[in-house]
Amino acid sequence: MANRTQLAESLKKISSKMTEKEKYLIELDAKFGDGDLGLSMKQGFGKVADYLAKAEENDLGILLRNCSSEFNEAAPSTLGTIISFGFMGMAKYLKGKTSVDLPDIASAMEAGIQMIMNKAKSKPGDKTILDSLYPAVQALKEHASEGETAWEEAYKAACAGAEKTRKMKGVHGRIAYYGEKTLGEMDGGAVAGMLIFEALK
Amino acid sequence: MKKIINKPENFVEEFMEGILAAYGDRVKTLDPEKKILVRSEKPAAGKVGIVTAGGSGHLPVFLGYVGAGMLDGCAVGEVFASPSAKKMEDMIRYVDQGNGVLCLYGNYGGDVMNFEMACENLDFDGIRTEQVLVKDDVASRPKEEADMRRGVAGMVYAFKVAGAAADEMLSLDEVAQTAREALENIRTMGFALTPCIVPMAGKATFSIGENDLELGMGIHGEPGIEVCEMKPADEIADIVLDKLLDDMPVASGEEVSVMINGLGATPLEELFILYRRVHERLKEKGISVYMPHVGEFATSMEMAGASITVFRLNDKMKKYLRKAADTPFYTNHNK
Repeated sequence: MANRTQLAESLKKISSKMTEKEKYLIELDAKFGDGDLGLSMKQGFGKVADYLAKAEENDLGILLRNCSSEFNEAAPSTLGTIISFGFMGMAKYLKGKTSVDLPDIASAMEAGIQMIMNKAKSKPGDKTILDSLYPAVQALKEHASEGETAWEEAYKAACAGAEKTRKMKGVHGRIAYYGEKTLGEMDGGAVAGMLIFEALK
Repeated sequence: MKKIINKPENFVEEFMEGILAAYGDRVKTLDPEKKILVRSEKPAAGKVGIVTAGGSGHLPVFLGYVGAGMLDGCAVGEVFASPSAKKMEDMIRYVDQGNGVLCLYGNYGGDVMNFEMACENLDFDGIRTEQVLVKDDVASRPKEEADMRRGVAGMVYAFKVAGAAADEMLSLDEVAQTAREALENIRTMGFALTPCIVPMAGKATFSIGENDLELGMGIHGEPGIEVCEMKPADEIADIVLDKLLDDMPVASGEEVSVMINGLGATPLEELFILYRRVHERLKEKGISVYMPHVGEFATSMEMAGASITVFRLNDKMKKYLRKAADTPFYTNHNK
């Protein structure tokens, strides 16, 4: 079972991971984006981790909704907004709950991804963060009954998903202007998604 | 760059201070950054709220229509940049009187994402919102992709009509439906003679040839559909009007309102020369004009050029267009 404390710990792990990999994300993003990916992930997750460390609220829905707002304020880039929608989708799913089990967490993450796909009008295969998040959450769902190994499976799926973006052409945002040139490179957003699961495993 | 400014980075803050100094009896801001403008008095109990938002650089759009008979609030961004979702959210929370709030705004990526985020947040707390996007610019996409068109000057008619419907105490669904109905009958197309300069950029980020005319250019300098040699006013009016009526046929015997909108650096005289031709052409087709709007309604900094909007009317829309509206930047008493 997970409650406010585990949520705060998880986000702290993600925040540390993003800080550790900031330079790597900047380098990836500078190729076809505006280079703000590293900073915006570090600032966004940093702000969320700080908020959760101090929050006294127990409703996971309200906590995640506030994470969405904190993230959006701290990282007002396109990917920042997209991740904020992810938090919001989870928030709506978990509204009213103070503790959840692994299948609930997987379903909440699925709701988060669904909201990202609806709002960004994007889907796996478009060379975005969804290419790592989507398979990771599917794997988490599939293995949810197996306990902790599910996070390991989710991470493997996220890595495979991020790797697959090398074969994709970007269609959303600035990367779309580069077309064929983006082949062979991993998408920075997809790598950020993979790092989330690397931190959680 | 020659602009009447102090420092480029203070552009938005300082014009907002000027507006508050001039019209502080009717409008106020809710936040220290002065990015949320609302009417001084709260909306009447039971009235649906109407808000908009968008980048600066288009006055009187967007905030100029906050006032009696039109909008209850507007979130203001930097020049040509969307305000944050947080500002939109705070504005809607303030404006809501328990009957929900209509978000009526132009179809631009940043504004759409931020309004979506704000409305999801409000929905979490049980506050009802409806979003209606303005997509009147026929030059921004072909008819088959009309759903992806940008919003330009025609939004002023939508603000007017929705504001009147809300003043009649209609429900949120009804006010939103009225705005949609109006927008189905509104089409706009612009053309530019010179580019505009974003203060922070310090120079024009695109150019238009000395003897050229860019047909269909957007209000942020988005490329138009054709660059051609400068033409006489009547020819320009004919090209634009044909395009509008081709997209939205209007039958003989019908009534329309026409807006000739200056983009920032076009003399009113030239706008009336355009209107003269549009009026004449419509008359030939047996179409009469109700409440023409000639002036600056949606500008693009110091861009020279104009846009023409046709709003096909029925009795209900005529009534809503005529119902009194009085904001610091707009009145219909003189129309």
